[in-house]
Amino acid sequence: MNLRRAIIWIGRLALAGIFIYAGYAKLTMGMHPRPPIGVALSFFALQVDSYQILPTWGVKFVAKTLPFAEIGLGLLLLIGWRFRIWATIVTLIMLGFFAAVVRSYALGLQINCGCFATPEPLTIKTVFRDGIFSALALLMTIFAFMEARKPHPWSAPEKA
Amino acid sequence: MSRRAILAVVAVLALIALGLQMSRGLSPALAARFNVDRAPQSLASEQPALTSSNDRNVAPAVSASPAAPEKTAESGSAVPRPTPGQAPAGLADVDPHKAFGSKNAPVTMEVFSDFQCPACKTLYITTNRQVMDNYVSTGKVYLIHRDFPLAMHAHSRVAARYARAAAQLGKNEPVEQALFQNQEKWEKTGDVDGTVAAVLSPAEMAKVRALVKGGTLDAAIDKDFALGQMYRVNQTPTTVFHSANQTYPYAGVMSYDILKQFLDQLLSGH
Repeated sequence: MNLRRAIIWIGRLALAGIFIYAGYAKLTMGMHPRPPIGVALSFFALQVDSYQILPTWGVKFVAKTLPFAEIGLGLLLLIGWRFRIWATIVTLIMLGFFAAVVRSYALGLQINCGCFATPEPLTIKTVFRDGIFSALALLMTIFAFMEARKPHPWSAPEKA
Repeated sequence: MSRRAILAVVAVLALIALGLQMSRGLSPALAARFNVDRAPQSLASEQPALTSSNDRNVAPAVSASPAAPEKTAESGSAVPRPTPGQAPAGLADVDPHKAFGSKNAPVTMEVFSDFQCPACKTLYITTNRQVMDNYVSTGKVYLIHRDFPLAMHAHSRVAARYARAAAQLGKNEPVEQALFQNQEKWEKTGDVDGTVAAVLSPAEMAKVRALVKGGTLDAAIDKDFALGQMYRVNQTPTTVFHSANQTYPYAGVMSYDILKQFLDQLLSGH
Protein backbone atom coordinates (compact mmCIF):
# COMPACT_ATOMS: atom_id res chain seq x y z
CA MET A 1 0.00 0.00 0.00
CA ASN A 2 1.48 3.33 -1.00
CA LEU A 3 1.47 6.46 1.15
CA ARG A 4 -1.43 8.08 -0.69
CA ARG A 5 -3.68 5.09 -0.17
CA ALA A 6 -2.65 4.89 3.48
CA ILE A 7 -3.61 8.55 4.01
CA ILE A 8 -6.92 8.04 2.22
CA TRP A 9 -7.75 5.12 4.53
CA ILE A 10 -6.59 6.89 7.69
CA GLY A 11 -8.55 10.01 6.75
CA ARG A 12 -11.59 8.02 5.82
CA LEU A 13 -11.73 6.06 9.08
CA ALA A 14 -10.70 8.96 11.34
CA LEU A 15 -13.04 11.55 9.81
CA ALA A 16 -15.92 9.09 9.61
CA GLY A 17 -15.48 8.35 13.33
CA ILE A 18 -15.18 12.01 14.22
CA PHE A 19 -18.22 13.03 12.18
CA ILE A 20 -20.43 10.24 13.48
CA TYR A 21 -19.37 10.90 17.07
CA ALA A 22 -19.80 14.69 16.71
CA GLY A 23 -23.29 14.33 15.27
CA TYR A 24 -24.29 11.74 17.83
CA ALA A 25 -22.91 13.87 20.70
CA LYS A 26 -24.89 16.88 19.52
CA LEU A 27 -28.10 14.87 19.49
CA THR A 28 -27.58 13.31 22.92
CA MET A 29 -25.48 16.06 24.60
CA GLY A 30 -23.57 13.28 26.32
CA MET A 31 -26.35 13.04 28.87
CA HIS A 32 -28.00 10.11 30.57
CA PRO A 33 -30.93 10.04 30.23
CA ARG A 34 -30.79 11.56 26.79
CA PRO A 35 -32.68 14.88 26.52
CA PRO A 36 -35.37 15.23 23.84
CA ILE A 37 -33.84 15.88 20.41
CA GLY A 38 -35.64 19.23 20.18
CA VAL A 39 -33.94 20.37 23.39
CA ALA A 40 -30.53 19.15 22.20
CA LEU A 41 -30.88 20.88 18.83
CA SER A 42 -32.08 24.16 20.31
CA PHE A 43 -29.21 24.09 22.82
CA PHE A 44 -26.81 23.47 19.94
CA ALA A 45 -28.38 26.53 18.26
CA LEU A 46 -27.17 28.62 21.21
CA GLN A 47 -23.64 27.39 20.56
CA VAL A 48 -23.86 28.08 16.81
CA ASP A 49 -25.19 31.56 17.59
CA SER A 50 -22.26 32.27 19.90
CA TYR A 51 -19.91 32.32 16.87
CA GLN A 52 -21.75 35.46 15.69
CA ILE A 53 -21.41 34.53 12.04
CA LEU A 54 -24.91 33.60 10.90
CA PRO A 55 -28.24 35.42 11.04
CA THR A 56 -30.97 33.92 13.23
CA TRP A 57 -32.53 31.89 10.41
CA GLY A 58 -29.07 30.56 9.46
CA VAL A 59 -28.35 29.57 13.06
CA LYS A 60 -31.64 27.68 13.26
CA PHE A 61 -31.03 25.96 9.91
CA VAL A 62 -27.48 24.88 10.79
CA ALA A 63 -28.50 23.69 14.26
CA LYS A 64 -31.32 21.57 12.88
CA THR A 65 -29.38 20.01 10.01
CA LEU A 66 -25.70 19.79 10.95
CA PRO A 67 -25.86 16.90 13.48
CA PHE A 68 -27.77 14.70 11.02
CA ALA A 69 -25.51 15.75 8.14
CA GLU A 70 -22.45 14.84 10.20
CA ILE A 71 -23.77 11.36 10.94
CA GLY A 72 -24.82 10.84 7.34
CA LEU A 73 -21.51 12.01 5.90
CA GLY A 74 -19.59 9.89 8.41
CA LEU A 75 -21.54 6.81 7.35
CA LEU A 76 -21.04 7.60 3.66
CA LEU A 77 -17.29 7.97 4.20
CA LEU A 78 -17.22 4.57 5.89
CA ILE A 79 -19.23 2.90 3.18
CA GLY A 80 -17.12 4.45 0.45
CA TRP A 81 -19.87 4.72 -2.15
CA ARG A 82 -19.20 7.77 -4.39
CA PHE A 83 -16.36 8.45 -2.02
CA ARG A 84 -14.87 11.49 -3.76
CA ILE A 85 -18.15 13.41 -3.66
CA TRP A 86 -18.60 12.95 0.09
CA ALA A 87 -14.91 13.46 0.78
CA THR A 88 -15.13 16.82 -1.00
CA ILE A 89 -18.19 17.85 1.02
CA VAL A 90 -16.56 16.72 4.28
CA THR A 91 -13.45 18.72 3.39
CA LEU A 92 -15.47 21.84 2.65
CA ILE A 93 -17.32 21.47 5.96
CA MET A 94 -14.05 20.92 7.86
CA LEU A 95 -12.52 24.00 6.23
CA GLY A 96 -15.65 25.94 7.19
CA PHE A 97 -15.32 24.79 10.82
CA PHE A 98 -11.65 25.67 10.79
CA ALA A 99 -12.31 29.16 9.41
CA ALA A 100 -15.01 29.76 12.06
CA VAL A 101 -12.74 28.58 14.87
CA VAL A 102 -9.77 30.65 13.67
CA ARG A 103 -11.95 33.75 13.31
CA SER A 104 -13.43 33.33 16.80
CA TYR A 105 -10.01 32.73 18.33
CA ALA A 106 -8.53 35.74 16.53
CA LEU A 107 -11.39 37.96 17.71
CA GLY A 108 -10.91 36.69 21.26
CA LEU A 109 -14.46 35.38 21.57
CA GLN A 110 -14.81 33.61 24.89
CA ILE A 111 -17.14 30.88 23.68
CA ASN A 112 -17.47 27.14 23.85
CA CYS A 113 -16.41 25.24 20.76
CA GLY A 114 -19.68 23.30 20.50
CA CYS A 115 -17.81 20.71 18.43
CA PHE A 116 -18.83 17.71 20.51
CA ALA A 117 -21.67 19.32 22.50
CA THR A 118 -19.53 19.57 25.63
CA PRO A 119 -18.79 22.83 27.44
CA GLU A 120 -15.30 22.91 25.95
CA PRO A 121 -13.79 26.42 25.75
CA LEU A 122 -12.43 27.45 22.36
CA THR A 123 -8.66 27.61 22.82
CA ILE A 124 -5.51 27.38 20.70
CA LYS A 125 -5.72 23.62 21.21
CA THR A 126 -9.10 23.62 19.45
CA VAL A 127 -7.62 25.64 16.58
CA PHE A 128 -4.73 23.16 16.15
CA ARG A 129 -7.05 20.17 16.39
CA ASP A 130 -9.40 21.54 13.74
CA GLY A 131 -6.39 22.47 11.60
CA ILE A 132 -5.09 18.91 11.70
CA PHE A 133 -8.52 17.47 10.86
CA SER A 134 -8.92 19.94 7.98
CA ALA A 135 -5.47 19.13 6.59
CA LEU A 136 -6.24 15.42 6.82
CA ALA A 137 -9.55 15.91 5.01
CA LEU A 138 -7.89 18.00 2.32
CA LEU A 139 -5.09 15.48 1.75
CA MET A 140 -7.55 12.59 1.73
CA THR A 141 -9.66 14.26 -0.94
CA ILE A 142 -6.75 15.36 -3.13
CA PHE A 143 -5.18 11.90 -2.96
CA ALA A 144 -8.54 10.27 -3.69
CA PHE A 145 -8.83 12.25 -6.92
CA MET A 146 -5.20 11.48 -7.83
CA GLU A 147 -5.62 7.77 -7.17
CA ALA A 148 -8.81 7.69 -9.22
CA ARG A 149 -6.81 8.55 -12.30
CA LYS A 150 -4.67 5.46 -11.86
CA PRO A 151 -5.95 1.90 -12.52
CA HIS A 152 -6.98 0.05 -9.36
CA PRO A 153 -4.08 -2.08 -8.02
CA TRP A 154 -6.35 -5.12 -7.81
CA SER A 155 -7.47 -4.80 -11.42
CA ALA A 156 -6.09 -7.19 -13.98
CA PRO A 157 -3.00 -5.97 -15.85
CA GLU A 158 -3.68 -4.58 -19.25
CA LYS A 159 -3.05 -7.03 -22.03
CA ALA A 160 -0.33 -6.09 -24.48
CA MET B 1 -22.50 -5.63 -3.98
CA SER B 2 -18.83 -6.23 -3.29
CA ARG B 3 -17.57 -7.92 -0.14
CA ARG B 4 -16.03 -4.64 1.00
CA ALA B 5 -19.37 -2.84 0.77
CA ILE B 6 -21.10 -5.59 2.77
CA LEU B 7 -18.46 -5.32 5.49
CA ALA B 8 -18.89 -1.55 5.59
CA VAL B 9 -22.67 -1.85 5.92
CA VAL B 10 -22.29 -4.40 8.75
CA ALA B 11 -19.84 -2.11 10.53
CA VAL B 12 -22.20 0.85 10.19
CA LEU B 13 -25.17 -1.12 11.49
CA ALA B 14 -23.11 -2.31 14.45
CA LEU B 15 -22.15 1.29 15.22
CA ILE B 16 -25.76 2.44 15.04
CA ALA B 17 -26.87 -0.39 17.32
CA LEU B 18 -24.13 0.43 19.83
CA GLY B 19 -25.08 4.10 19.75
CA LEU B 20 -28.75 3.36 20.30
CA GLN B 21 -27.96 1.05 23.18
CA MET B 22 -25.76 3.66 24.86
CA SER B 23 -28.18 6.51 24.30
CA ARG B 24 -31.16 4.63 25.65
CA GLY B 25 -29.29 3.64 28.77
CA LEU B 26 -29.89 -0.05 28.15
CA SER B 27 -26.48 -0.77 29.58
CA PRO B 28 -26.62 0.46 33.20
CA ALA B 29 -23.01 -0.51 33.89
CA LEU B 30 -21.80 1.54 30.97
CA ALA B 31 -24.02 4.45 31.93
CA ALA B 32 -22.79 4.31 35.52
CA ARG B 33 -19.16 4.32 34.41
CA PHE B 34 -19.87 7.24 32.11
CA ASN B 35 -21.22 9.30 35.01
CA VAL B 36 -18.58 8.32 37.54
CA ASP B 37 -15.72 9.10 35.20
CA ARG B 38 -16.90 12.63 34.77
CA ALA B 39 -17.97 13.49 38.30
CA PRO B 40 -14.98 13.58 40.64
CA GLN B 41 -12.64 16.38 39.74
CA SER B 42 -10.69 18.73 41.94
CA LEU B 43 -11.71 22.36 42.00
CA ALA B 44 -8.48 24.27 42.04
CA SER B 45 -6.33 22.21 39.72
CA GLU B 46 -8.82 21.98 36.87
CA GLN B 47 -10.34 25.43 37.08
CA PRO B 48 -9.27 27.29 33.96
CA ALA B 49 -8.27 30.93 34.09
CA LEU B 50 -11.31 33.02 34.81
CA THR B 51 -12.11 35.50 32.14
CA SER B 52 -14.72 38.06 31.45
CA SER B 53 -16.01 39.08 28.09
CA ASN B 54 -15.30 42.60 27.00
CA ASP B 55 -17.78 43.27 24.28
CA ARG B 56 -20.46 40.84 23.14
CA ASN B 57 -18.31 37.85 24.07
CA VAL B 58 -15.10 39.67 23.18
CA ALA B 59 -12.64 39.29 26.00
CA PRO B 60 -9.26 40.76 26.76
CA ALA B 61 -6.35 38.37 26.93
CA VAL B 62 -6.32 38.77 30.67
CA SER B 63 -6.91 36.09 33.19
CA ALA B 64 -7.72 36.47 36.82
CA SER B 65 -7.95 34.32 39.83
CA PRO B 66 -11.16 34.22 41.82
CA ALA B 67 -11.67 36.93 44.36
CA ALA B 68 -11.26 34.61 47.32
CA PRO B 69 -9.85 31.39 45.88
CA GLU B 70 -8.90 29.59 49.06
CA LYS B 71 -12.17 30.30 50.75
CA THR B 72 -14.34 29.37 47.79
CA ALA B 73 -12.32 26.28 47.01
CA GLU B 74 -12.84 25.09 50.56
CA SER B 75 -16.54 25.74 50.59
CA GLY B 76 -16.87 24.30 47.10
CA SER B 77 -15.19 21.05 48.01
CA ALA B 78 -17.67 20.52 50.80
CA VAL B 79 -20.54 20.48 48.34
CA PRO B 80 -20.95 17.44 46.09
CA ARG B 81 -20.22 18.46 42.51
CA PRO B 82 -23.18 17.70 40.24
CA THR B 83 -22.50 15.49 37.28
CA PRO B 84 -22.91 17.33 33.99
CA GLY B 85 -26.40 16.78 32.76
CA GLN B 86 -27.73 15.96 36.19
CA ALA B 87 -29.37 18.61 38.33
CA PRO B 88 -28.34 18.96 41.95
CA ALA B 89 -30.85 17.65 44.45
CA GLY B 90 -32.08 21.17 45.18
CA LEU B 91 -31.02 24.65 44.24
CA ALA B 92 -28.55 25.67 46.90
CA ASP B 93 -28.58 28.93 48.84
CA VAL B 94 -31.15 30.86 46.87
CA ASP B 95 -31.38 34.41 48.13
CA PRO B 96 -35.10 35.21 47.69
CA HIS B 97 -34.18 38.84 47.04
CA LYS B 98 -32.07 37.81 44.03
CA ALA B 99 -34.52 35.29 42.59
CA PHE B 100 -37.48 36.11 40.39
CA GLY B 101 -40.63 34.29 39.40
CA SER B 102 -42.22 31.17 40.73
CA LYS B 103 -40.09 28.58 42.54
CA ASN B 104 -42.33 25.96 40.97
CA ALA B 105 -41.62 27.11 37.42
CA PRO B 106 -40.69 24.21 35.12
CA VAL B 107 -37.41 25.86 34.10
CA THR B 108 -34.84 27.50 36.34
CA MET B 109 -32.13 29.81 35.03
CA GLU B 110 -29.13 30.59 37.24
CA VAL B 111 -27.21 33.51 35.77
CA PHE B 112 -23.63 33.87 37.02
CA SER B 113 -22.81 37.47 36.37
CA ASP B 114 -20.31 40.23 37.13
CA PHE B 115 -21.56 43.83 37.23
CA GLN B 116 -18.36 45.13 35.61
CA CYS B 117 -18.39 42.63 32.75
CA PRO B 118 -19.58 44.22 29.46
CA ALA B 119 -21.00 40.95 28.11
CA CYS B 120 -23.07 40.60 31.29
CA LYS B 121 -24.47 44.06 30.58
CA THR B 122 -25.32 42.97 27.02
CA LEU B 123 -27.00 39.81 28.27
CA TYR B 124 -28.98 41.78 30.86
CA ILE B 125 -30.12 44.49 28.47
CA THR B 126 -30.75 42.53 25.27
CA THR B 127 -31.92 39.17 26.55
CA ASN B 128 -32.66 38.73 30.24
CA ARG B 129 -35.07 41.63 30.49
CA GLN B 130 -37.14 40.08 27.72
CA VAL B 131 -36.94 36.75 29.52
CA MET B 132 -38.20 38.48 32.67
CA ASP B 133 -41.13 39.99 30.77
CA ASN B 134 -42.13 36.94 28.75
CA TYR B 135 -41.14 33.92 30.83
CA VAL B 136 -40.48 34.91 34.44
CA SER B 137 -43.55 37.07 34.93
CA THR B 138 -45.72 34.34 33.40
CA GLY B 139 -44.43 31.69 35.81
CA LYS B 140 -42.60 29.67 33.19
CA VAL B 141 -39.05 30.43 34.32
CA TYR B 142 -37.52 30.92 37.76
CA LEU B 143 -34.55 33.26 37.33
CA ILE B 144 -31.78 33.42 39.93
CA HIS B 145 -29.06 36.04 39.83
CA ARG B 146 -25.73 34.68 41.09
CA ASP B 147 -22.82 36.97 41.85
CA PHE B 148 -19.57 35.92 40.24
CA PRO B 149 -17.30 38.96 40.68
CA LEU B 150 -13.97 38.43 38.94
CA ALA B 151 -10.80 39.68 40.59
CA MET B 152 -9.73 41.24 37.28
CA HIS B 153 -12.50 43.82 37.75
CA ALA B 154 -11.56 46.29 40.46
CA HIS B 155 -15.09 47.37 41.39
CA SER B 156 -17.26 44.37 40.61
CA ARG B 157 -17.28 43.02 44.17
CA VAL B 158 -18.22 46.45 45.54
CA ALA B 159 -21.02 46.64 42.97
CA ALA B 160 -22.19 43.15 43.97
CA ARG B 161 -22.31 44.24 47.63
CA TYR B 162 -24.42 47.31 46.82
CA ALA B 163 -26.76 45.31 44.57
CA ARG B 164 -27.21 42.66 47.24
CA ALA B 165 -27.84 45.27 49.93
CA ALA B 166 -30.42 46.99 47.70
CA ALA B 167 -32.02 43.63 46.97
CA GLN B 168 -32.58 43.12 50.68
CA LEU B 169 -34.64 46.31 50.63
CA GLY B 170 -36.59 45.07 47.63
CA LYS B 171 -34.78 47.44 45.29
CA ASN B 172 -32.87 44.94 43.20
CA GLU B 173 -34.40 45.85 39.83
CA PRO B 174 -33.63 49.61 39.75
CA VAL B 175 -30.15 49.15 41.22
CA GLU B 176 -29.20 46.31 38.87
CA GLN B 177 -30.45 48.36 35.95
CA ALA B 178 -28.53 51.46 37.09
CA LEU B 179 -25.32 49.49 37.59
CA PHE B 180 -25.45 47.86 34.18
CA GLN B 181 -26.61 50.92 32.26
CA ASN B 182 -23.95 53.17 33.81
CA GLN B 183 -21.23 50.52 33.79
CA GLU B 184 -18.77 52.52 31.67
CA LYS B 185 -19.03 55.50 34.05
CA TRP B 186 -18.52 53.85 37.42
CA GLU B 187 -15.90 51.41 36.20
CA LYS B 188 -13.70 54.42 35.35
CA THR B 189 -14.40 56.43 38.47
CA GLY B 190 -15.17 53.63 40.91
CA ASP B 191 -18.23 55.60 42.05
CA VAL B 192 -20.56 52.69 42.66
CA ASP B 193 -22.07 54.48 45.65
CA GLY B 194 -23.07 57.49 43.56
CA THR B 195 -24.56 55.31 40.82
CA VAL B 196 -26.75 53.47 43.32
CA ALA B 197 -27.64 56.64 45.22
CA ALA B 198 -29.05 58.13 42.01
CA VAL B 199 -31.89 55.59 41.94
CA LEU B 200 -32.65 55.26 45.68
CA SER B 201 -34.12 57.64 48.22
CA PRO B 202 -31.75 59.04 50.88
CA ALA B 203 -33.34 56.82 53.54
CA GLU B 204 -32.94 53.71 51.41
CA MET B 205 -29.38 54.67 50.54
CA ALA B 206 -28.53 55.05 54.21
CA LYS B 207 -29.74 51.49 54.85
CA VAL B 208 -27.81 50.20 51.84
CA ARG B 209 -24.61 51.87 53.05
CA ALA B 210 -25.11 50.41 56.50
CA LEU B 211 -25.52 46.92 55.06
CA VAL B 212 -22.46 47.33 52.84
CA LYS B 213 -20.35 48.56 55.75
CA GLY B 214 -21.68 45.78 57.95
CA GLY B 215 -19.54 43.32 56.00
CA THR B 216 -22.11 40.53 56.10
CA LEU B 217 -22.77 40.50 52.36
CA ASP B 218 -19.45 38.97 51.32
CA ALA B 219 -20.41 35.58 52.71
CA ALA B 220 -23.42 35.38 50.39
CA ILE B 221 -21.34 36.55 47.41
CA ASP B 222 -18.69 33.94 48.19
CA LYS B 223 -21.37 31.25 48.34
CA ASP B 224 -22.52 32.18 44.86
CA PHE B 225 -18.91 32.17 43.67
CA ALA B 226 -18.29 28.72 45.15
CA LEU B 227 -21.45 27.44 43.51
CA GLY B 228 -20.19 28.80 40.20
CA GLN B 229 -16.94 26.93 40.65
CA MET B 230 -18.94 23.80 41.32
CA TYR B 231 -20.62 24.26 37.94
CA ARG B 232 -17.17 24.89 36.41
CA VAL B 233 -18.06 28.47 35.55
CA ASN B 234 -14.92 29.95 34.01
CA GLN B 235 -16.25 33.12 32.48
CA THR B 236 -19.09 35.56 32.82
CA PRO B 237 -21.87 35.52 31.96
CA THR B 238 -22.61 31.83 32.37
CA THR B 239 -26.19 30.61 32.55
CA VAL B 240 -27.09 27.25 34.03
CA PHE B 241 -30.49 25.96 32.99
CA HIS B 242 -32.31 23.36 35.08
CA SER B 243 -35.28 21.47 33.72
CA ALA B 244 -36.68 17.99 34.23
CA ASN B 245 -33.73 16.95 36.42
CA GLN B 246 -31.23 17.94 33.73
CA THR B 247 -28.66 20.72 33.86
CA TYR B 248 -27.53 22.68 30.80
CA PRO B 249 -24.64 25.12 31.38
CA TYR B 250 -24.05 27.75 28.73
CA ALA B 251 -21.25 30.34 28.71
CA GLY B 252 -21.61 33.62 26.88
CA VAL B 253 -24.24 35.99 25.61
CA MET B 254 -27.39 34.57 24.05
CA SER B 255 -29.61 36.34 21.58
CA TYR B 256 -33.21 36.37 22.71
CA ASP B 257 -34.66 34.66 19.62
CA ILE B 258 -32.39 31.64 19.96
CA LEU B 259 -32.81 31.48 23.73
CA LYS B 260 -36.59 31.66 23.29
CA GLN B 261 -36.45 28.61 21.03
CA PHE B 262 -34.47 26.70 23.68
CA LEU B 263 -36.78 27.72 26.54
CA ASP B 264 -39.83 26.76 24.48
CA GLN B 265 -38.31 23.35 23.85
CA LEU B 266 -37.62 22.88 27.56
CA LEU B 267 -41.15 23.97 28.42
CA SER B 268 -42.73 21.72 25.80
CA GLY B 269 -41.66 18.70 27.83
CA HIS B 270 -43.76 19.79 30.82
